[in-house]
Amino acid sequence: MRRFALMIAATSVLIACGSSRPSQASNSAANGAANVAASAAVAAAPVSGAKAAAIMHERHEGMEAIGKANKQLRRELGASAPDLAAVRAAAAKIAGLAAKSGGWFPAGTGPEVGKTGAKPEIWQDPKDFAAKLATFQRGSQAFDAAARSGNLDAIHARFTDLGGTCKSCHDKYRSEMHH
Amino acid sequence: MWDLPIRLFHWVLAGLIAFSWWSIEYHHGDWHIWSGIAILTLLLFRLLWGVVGSSTARFSSFIRGPTAIRRYLGGDWRGIGHSPLGALSVVALLGATAVQVGLGLVAEDEDGVMTGPLSRLVSIDTSDAARNLHEIWFYVLLAFIALHVAAILFFRWRGKKLIAPMITGKTAEEPGTAPMRPAKWWLAIVCLVIAIGISRWVLAGAPPFSP
Repeated sequence: MRRFALMIAATSVLIACGSSRPSQASNSAANGAANVAASAAVAAAPVSGAKAAAIMHERHEGMEAIGKANKQLRRELGASAPDLAAVRAAAAKIAGLAAKSGGWFPAGTGPEVGKTGAKPEIWQDPKDFAAKLATFQRGSQAFDAAARSGNLDAIHARFTDLGGTCKSCHDKYRSEMHH
Repeated sequence: MWDLPIRLFHWVLAGLIAFSWWSIEYHHGDWHIWSGIAILTLLLFRLLWGVVGSSTARFSSFIRGPTAIRRYLGGDWRGIGHSPLGALSVVALLGATAVQVGLGLVAEDEDGVMTGPLSRLVSIDTSDAARNLHEIWFYVLLAFIALHVAAILFFRWRGKKLIAPMITGKTAEEPGTAPMRPAKWWLAIVCLVIAIGISRWVLAGAPPFSP
């Protein structure tokens, strides 16, 4: 069933290549991919030493870049006539980083190892965390798709959804970290 | 000596400042923002009531220059309501609270997830600076509050009770001074409605007025 969906998705991506509006099928394929990536997030083999430090650094930089793109988007979308090119660039940036975020949370990269905003609860409830990360990844893809479509109503709606996915995860799994 | 709007303003403000601290300390960002907006409403109300309210609430009735403060310190002052020196305390406390609310309105957290309603009207750098200053300014506000409480204790030690009048509104008659001239009660409602209206507009991100 999944293979069938992927085939349809792959075909429709090929067909839709160059067109701005992704189809429903490619969305659901992306969702599937996001789920896989997210479940890999915390189930991956524990890391330590230089590898853990490198992942924590990448995570920090990535989250910071997502935060900055979010802040730029809030200002751009608050304007009466948003610059669509800027919105698309920021949306693509977030979607790209979100796709990578599945690899940012292996066991051994928590606060017991170094300075991080990641709470230990991430590894105490890995299933819930993975589900929230997957929701974020789906949200980032849906927002990216809306940005590429150029439909302002959809852009605003998907941006609000995306912000909700940030908040619901951060409320539970992000601690304050002062630089 | 104090009308009901002033007393309610005072105690609700005290409660909301405490609640604002508690809510952010325990990561209830939404409650913190609502509390800040409620404080904004109170401040706007106080500003209006300071113009049209009862005599002891009006800024024009108690804000005095340095000469009056010197004479007060020399023991040459009789009256009810805020003394010329106490007026400075009122201005400082209201001003420090207003600064804190203003900073909070344009601040946003590191992630841009918890955001003051006016934060997107300023640059990201300005917003970050406002957040840092918002954290620091709280201690300035605390210092003013500590001074305020210390002054009350000082007067208590000198034999003058200030807390009871702020609860009951009543104080012993000072011979030779005019009693409070109360304002119309419905004016307080008008002031509150205006204050809520402005706060709601701020909460909505201060949208431009369109026909």
